[in-house]
Amino acid sequence: MLKNVGIIGFGSYIPYYRITIAEIAKVWRKNPLDIEKALGISEKAVVGFDEDTVTMATEAASNALLMASLPASRIQALYIGSESHPYAVNPSSTIVAEVLGVGRHYMAADLEFACKAGTAGVQMISGLLEAGIINYGLAIGADSSQAKPHDVLEYTAGAGAAAFLLGRNRKDFLVEIIDFASYSSDTPDFWRRDGIPYPTHAGRFTGEPAYFTHVQEAAQSLLKKTNLRPADFSYAVFHMPNAKFPCEVAKRLGFTCEQIEPSLVVRQIGNPYSASSLLGLNAVLEIAKPGQLIFLTSYGSGAGADSFILKTSKLLPGLRKKVPAISDWLKNKQYIDYPEYLKLTRKI
Amino acid sequence: MGSFAYAQDDKIIMISPVKIWRHQKKVTQLLGKKGKIISFTIIRVPPAGYETEAPYPVILAELETGERITAQLVYWQKENLKVGQKVEACYRRIRKPDSEGIIPYGIKFRPI
Amino acid sequence: MKIPVLGIGVTKFGELWDYSPRVLVKQAVAEALNDARLKITDVDAIFVANMLSGILGNQENLGALFADELKSANKPAFKIEGACASGGLAIHNAVNSVLAGVYEKVLVLGIEKMTDHNPAEIAQALMSAGHDEERASGISFPGLYAILARAHMEKYGTKEEEMAAVAVKNHYHASLNPKAQFQTQLTIEQIMKSSCVADPLKLLDCSPVSDGAAAIIISNIKYQRSKTKRTVNIVASTVATDSLGLRGRKDLTTLKAAMVAGSKAYQQAKIKSSHIDVAEVHDCFTIAEILAMEDLGFFSKGKAARAITRGATKLGNGGLVVNPSGGLKACGHPVGATGIKQVCEIVTQLRNEAGERQVKGAKIGLAHNVGGSGAVAVVHILKN
Repeated sequence: MLKNVGIIGFGSYIPYYRITIAEIAKVWRKNPLDIEKALGISEKAVVGFDEDTVTMATEAASNALLMASLPASRIQALYIGSESHPYAVNPSSTIVAEVLGVGRHYMAADLEFACKAGTAGVQMISGLLEAGIINYGLAIGADSSQAKPHDVLEYTAGAGAAAFLLGRNRKDFLVEIIDFASYSSDTPDFWRRDGIPYPTHAGRFTGEPAYFTHVQEAAQSLLKKTNLRPADFSYAVFHMPNAKFPCEVAKRLGFTCEQIEPSLVVRQIGNPYSASSLLGLNAVLEIAKPGQLIFLTSYGSGAGADSFILKTSKLLPGLRKKVPAISDWLKNKQYIDYPEYLKLTRKI
Repeated sequence: MGSFAYAQDDKIIMISPVKIWRHQKKVTQLLGKKGKIISFTIIRVPPAGYETEAPYPVILAELETGERITAQLVYWQKENLKVGQKVEACYRRIRKPDSEGIIPYGIKFRPI
Repeated sequence: MKIPVLGIGVTKFGELWDYSPRVLVKQAVAEALNDARLKITDVDAIFVANMLSGILGNQENLGALFADELKSANKPAFKIEGACASGGLAIHNAVNSVLAGVYEKVLVLGIEKMTDHNPAEIAQALMSAGHDEERASGISFPGLYAILARAHMEKYGTKEEEMAAVAVKNHYHASLNPKAQFQTQLTIEQIMKSSCVADPLKLLDCSPVSDGAAAIIISNIKYQRSKTKRTVNIVASTVATDSLGLRGRKDLTTLKAAMVAGSKAYQQAKIKSSHIDVAEVHDCFTIAEILAMEDLGFFSKGKAARAITRGATKLGNGGLVVNPSGGLKACGHPVGATGIKQVCEIVTQLRNEAGERQVKGAKIGLAHNVGGSGAVAVVHILKN
């Protein structure tokens, strides 16, 4: 159990453009209703031509700092997790740190672990805070995911960013991080080789042996370790490659639909990879009451899952109003057609 | 932006990384600043390097500090393109990146 | 001051694929030397006006290049650059060198070769006249003037049709000028229907991409007395600057550099704006001519557009005639050559040799040459 780790500010960013599942299905002459039903998604978020992981991470992080009223210069560690870092070599984290005004005396690194690189950053900063090595750290999950045309991922690969400012002073906590546990293995369900623009996946192998095994194992080991049961939690958030998987794994673990429904941003933005479970968490934090327990489990292909137990504090309802909420980002949208989508994702 | 190097096969101009680096502090200062549109246009015939982005609006914005900035307007609707529209500075890629050079980031505005 | 013009020469302006810069310059200079009845070796110095030879052609060191090309036998030579005002600035510097007594007879030549390159390259090259923040924004040169147009429309209610009237007038003038790039006339409707380049400016609101050269030979007054000709003298030559980028301008509805240079020029020539019979102004875009009319004091602020629509400044309508050559819009705008061509046109008008486009009885003329979006302006006044 951790004693000195809490979220003192959080921020989100969802890009403006949306394309509906129906619009994509039309192009490939598929029945849109079938696809919407199978995936549980109606539309996904698309980045503007001038946005990428770095610009989105900057927006989300600015909001997190604003919520905490913390000057960026106090940050001592910054990690960005993404599978679409703009450079193969050249850290996104320092570009974002520089523009935020973090200063020079900080540690930073870029992380990659498919969709769970953001939560890996949370774990790393938690360790530094718990050990008293730093006072403030920023963990960001951000992605502008690419998908091959006509691949099933084309309906789900979305974009977004979520940032968490973590501290060790209990009196500042909006959300306390109580504990975490992970489950990792070498499971090749979804990957992308260096220099290749689109990821490849192993079809149905991404289900049971990959997503379900890792999420369930990480979740169950954390529940056992902390002696808690699903009924103890007000909310649960799981990584969302679509809307079906999180609902199924929630059921298997003993959580109810009501517990996970508020987190299912995937229905309207698709899967923003490293930001997926974290944006789901932000959606929950925007409605949670003080003193509630939240269960969060991310999943990254390759594969691994990070499970967290969080508890909200009295400070949360007041301070979360300072920055745009997920509901604001969801409302702020403009629909595009398929040719525009191809332009924006730089395929034409 | 000076220090050009023509890559003949790419026909793209590489921007000096040193120039980008020197420019960073200015970007930090402007991020999040609010202002209003003083005048504007929509660029339909873009200069080299901006072809795939056209058409896009460019505005002359006056910040609350009095400083004026020339930059693109993003996430805009037709009704936002008017003198007096309130705007906010945000962080964006400035130019379509070529295959090998440093990606230039900078300030654009969005309506608020 | 009284600086006699000994000779002038202007090439045809247009898409001159067959002619290299060297060929164009030799043509213009030959015409000017012939007009002045001089040999190249009679000239004491050569000023070269050009903007884009480096960016587009990878060639700098134009002073030496043309001194060599013209076989001037080791004469001093210099390149002067101030974006689209390069021509006017070169003349200003030549005038100063004569006033200072350093040189007696000076050749000023302007040259630009633009049509070897594609439109996107040219658009980017022209933006070197602006501020680096403007370049980073992706704005084009028409975009800069579009921002000025928008401000003028907001403040004075100037209409797009009124801006179009400028182009209609200048195309009419150009139809009478065999050296102009365009010989065909335009209607308001054609201009309004042309595709948008940078709202509200449309394709036909913008001067074209052109090749061309122009040359002028000036001397000090002491030399003029020994060789008489149909004399025209430069009686004022002024320059003023303003902020490089639009962000620094106090008032977007005026080009202050032009206003300052203009009023200093009237002072130097000891005249008022109402004394000008004929003017060549910098209409890189239709809005630019409207701004010029107001900046130079020909019309009060906000009134020029309407007046031009009603026929003011058009050949044959009496009163001041503006851009009898066709201006930049219709005669063409080879950047480095324009400022010199403008002065050559005024000289032709004051010599009463402009044929069909002659402004009857013209005695005093003005040339107005602007660089960038108004960062620098040069004004010359001439008298016969």
